[in-house]
Amino acid sequence: MASSQELSDFLRSVERRAFKQTVYAVRDEHVALDIVQDAMLKIAEKYADKSVGEYPMLFQRILQNTMRDYWRRQKVRNLWTSLFSSFGSGDDDDERDPLETIDVEDASKDPSVQLERSQTMHLIEKALERLPARQREAFILRYWEDMDVAETASVMGCSEGSVKTHCSRAVHTLAMILEKQGVGMKAIAQLGVES
Amino acid sequence: MIDNIQQRDSELQDTQGRQFAGLLDTHANRLSMRTLKRLEDARLQAVRLHEQKMAGNVHNGGSTLGKVFFWADHHRAVVTGLVLATVVAGLLLVQTSSFKVDTDTMLLGSELPPEAFVDRGFEPSLNRRVNFDETQEVRSIKL
Repeated sequence: MASSQELSDFLRSVERRAFKQTVYAVRDEHVALDIVQDAMLKIAEKYADKSVGEYPMLFQRILQNTMRDYWRRQKVRNLWTSLFSSFGSGDDDDERDPLETIDVEDASKDPSVQLERSQTMHLIEKALERLPARQREAFILRYWEDMDVAETASVMGCSEGSVKTHCSRAVHTLAMILEKQGVGMKAIAQLGVES
Repeated sequence: MIDNIQQRDSELQDTQGRQFAGLLDTHANRLSMRTLKRLEDARLQAVRLHEQKMAGNVHNGGSTLGKVFFWADHHRAVVTGLVLATVVAGLLLVQTSSFKVDTDTMLLGSELPPEAFVDRGFEPSLNRRVNFDETQEVRSIKL
């Protein structure tokens, strides 16, 4: 059974990645924060008796399910809002907070490297958002969360073969999109080393 | 030969995937203060909940009554089913008992002794009585 301190350490280690991962899926930072918070509360409430070693897979499964719940609710809501679409404004982007633009830390001092990295990151993030949901899920779990094929398959609820196919397609698509934008894999590798 | 090529492809793909993920990881560390604060709040809330859970304080302090409420809260469908079953059983019981009361009244109010109603010899006479009662009823309605 994991102690509260172990849970805290675990959540601290995954919260940023979980947040970004959710943002790529739902494309809304506020919704992503709510989803991550829900997932954290669920793991604390329902799986308090589990050992800390089980947390990474459990948390990913909870996070994916919470995202799916969100999509389901969104589908129903969209149905209703499309019926009353004339009442919608959808201009929330105007509310900008200066705090949102502050970077917490940036190891690189060279502005040109920072700019290049930021542009490449923007491209990768856009490309990730455009990937089909299952491919994105497989890619993130397999390479970002560093799960092996079997663990990824277990979290996604599919076969190992499907995971390999999804990952392969995701990497090819990402590489292709970046190639089209003039960013080759060499540049990616270089940026990775510099960061 | 084909296996070797496939394996090389797979390794190359893994390397590329990890390179993308490495960049994403670096970028994930650069979140706004507001986002980090919200994540921290969520984490602290989850940890507090975990502490309560570990201490057995969730849902009325873990007492017997608390456990019942906790169980009921997590098995809503079962509880709803039990309540419905109880209501249906109650209605059936009331209906059966009112039928018994009607039967007792009829037996006690009749000119014949109760044993006559289980005696096969009285059957034709009872049938005639029933037919006579029905005819009387029809007549009274017509009038």
